[in-house]
Amino acid sequence: MDVTRGFVAEGLTRARYVTNERVTMAIFLALVLEKPLLIEGPAGAGKTEIAKVLAGTLSTDLIRLQCYEGLDEARALYEWNYQKQLLRLQADEDEGKKWEQVSEHIFSRDYLLERPLLKAITAPRTVVLLIDEIDKADEEFEAFLLELLSDFQVSIPELGTLKARERPVVVLTSNRARELSEALRRRCLHLFIDFPGIEQERRIIELKVPDLDARLAAEAARFVGAIRKLGLHKPPSIAETLDWARALAKLGVNELDAEAIRSALSVLLKHEDDRAKVESKASSLATRSR
Amino acid sequence: MTTLRDRLITFIDELRRADIRISVAESIDAMNAVVAAGLERIAMREALAASLIKDEADRATFDSAFDNYFGAPPRERGTHPDQSGQTVSAASGRGRPGENPVSVEPQAKPRPEDGKSRGKHEAESKPGSDEAAREEGAGEGETSQQNEHAEQGVEAREDRHEDSGIEADRAAQMRALERMPFERYTVVEYEAAREALAPLVRRFRIRLGRRLRTARGGRIDLRRTIRAATQRGGLLIDLKHRARRPRHVDLVILADVSGSVRYAAELLLELTAGARGCFHRVRSFVFVDHLCEATFESGHLLMEPAPDLYARSDFGRVLVELWDRRAGLLTRSTLVVIMGDARNNRRPARADVLAEIARSCRGVVWLNPEDLARWGTGDSAINQYARAVDKLIPVRNLRELQKALLRVA
Repeated sequence: MDVTRGFVAEGLTRARYVTNERVTMAIFLALVLEKPLLIEGPAGAGKTEIAKVLAGTLSTDLIRLQCYEGLDEARALYEWNYQKQLLRLQADEDEGKKWEQVSEHIFSRDYLLERPLLKAITAPRTVVLLIDEIDKADEEFEAFLLELLSDFQVSIPELGTLKARERPVVVLTSNRARELSEALRRRCLHLFIDFPGIEQERRIIELKVPDLDARLAAEAARFVGAIRKLGLHKPPSIAETLDWARALAKLGVNELDAEAIRSALSVLLKHEDDRAKVESKASSLATRSR
Repeated sequence: MTTLRDRLITFIDELRRADIRISVAESIDAMNAVVAAGLERIAMREALAASLIKDEADRATFDSAFDNYFGAPPRERGTHPDQSGQTVSAASGRGRPGENPVSVEPQAKPRPEDGKSRGKHEAESKPGSDEAAREEGAGEGETSQQNEHAEQGVEAREDRHEDSGIEADRAAQMRALERMPFERYTVVEYEAAREALAPLVRRFRIRLGRRLRTARGGRIDLRRTIRAATQRGGLLIDLKHRARRPRHVDLVILADVSGSVRYAAELLLELTAGARGCFHRVRSFVFVDHLCEATFESGHLLMEPAPDLYARSDFGRVLVELWDRRAGLLTRSTLVVIMGDARNNRRPARADVLAEIARSCRGVVWLNPEDLARWGTGDSAINQYARAVDKLIPVRNLRELQKALLRVA
């Protein structure tokens, strides 16, 4: 496939992902240079969404590995399916087979549980591998991942080495819960995604919530932009903003006054302190959003 | 006639001079990226940024270096496609950024308007739209005037759409502040650092907590092990461990609050106060020439008795006082953390007492906020103390302070 910047931009537009030159360029380079793309930015700014859109653009599968503390190779790469092997052994025992014959096949691909990383390696064609929130995994896992990302092959003692036929497109996301290693940063291209500006968010709302009045969409975007500056515990993500916009549309709100703001605030803010803070300022925020 | 490759190599050198670490592999990536992206100005800048800048905090440095080196964009300055993506807004009425091919000649003399170092938040704003920001985060960004980036002649991006890149800005300021030497602090930076401390404390707690929680080694959790074994036909293959308890560490902190190291000391006290939960017990003391217990009451530092800030530091006397109070204070599980520049006004250092203290507790760590080059000069007794402590760590800025605490805790 011939990847051009136009192709990437078009794919993003088709997926209704409102974005900018920086994002387009980073994705384009990741595809052309075949390097992993590390996306950083606040939670809810649309990092994970990029991988999904990318899979759609390339019309291929998205394989997702959600990282968490204590994630290990067994969960990320592969495991032997013990129960199945045990059953096989018992069945073979009843038939009186020799060990050689048995051991031959209980360590074959049929008894392997493929986890996301191995799935990505053994996929018959290029897939998008999303390694989500890599900062949640611990350093050991990061080191292991680094090795895997460099040659996309894995050695399974009983099976030999499996090598990717087609290199997956790798997207990593991080919220900076911990600093990633320099080595990983060096290996990846880097993209920082921030919350959208008011204008951009307005376009997103209009695209995704068409039944909300255009004037109200602009007010909603301004309002959300303003409350993100209040230093909340958890500033509203784009997804929450969209949910909120849908709620406003459903409630048949005509204008964003203090009343309207209070009515659906729980859709936007998931933290009690945040809610109290915004509610206390509701009327001044409302006048300012007009 | 220089080739593009040479131009890029010199540009990368320039970035390295501005303290951005770039490996050989990354510079090769950058060249491939430019080849792929083409020479159109914005495309080239974004391609170089994606392949060279791996930390958003360095982005401003990169942007200004790029403008200096490849020529600032034409007068229609609205070019930095910042995070919000759109550089034009109907309200601000600016034209499309000039998207012309790069003039591939380094600019010999910067344009006059390039020299002005601006604060980050000078972007003109629509009336009323960022008052919310002013209500809360007023004063953020003021410090960027004196930060290291400012020295490198970085001007804040002009024409920022005022509602974009907030997080990026905040992150960049945060990181600039983290790298700012304590010695250059004024009240302004100190206040900014205190403001910034909440997320720092949170991050510090998370990291400390994570280290304590990772279940490796430690006691076996029988219930979970048996449960895992049922999947293995009763074979105890996977041993499951109990998460480790917070280690039984008592922290005793001694911080010199005289003169120049005062800010560092107070930040240390606040940082550790915030991470109380990770330790068994935390006692904090401040001193100039004698020991005073320090406590935090709703964010305010209370010192009992109040130290005489105009006295002259006397580390020796303070160490003796600590030794005298060891009964209720120092046990085998006590970690003593001392923060100070060890400038003793030529008074007896009493490193022997420090050695005694180190012998009677879990360990003594000395954090020195002074610039390494001056250790041991003049009346600095740090070399005498160095022999008596378990660890001596330079902590010249917030970042090093955090790192040091993580190392010893």
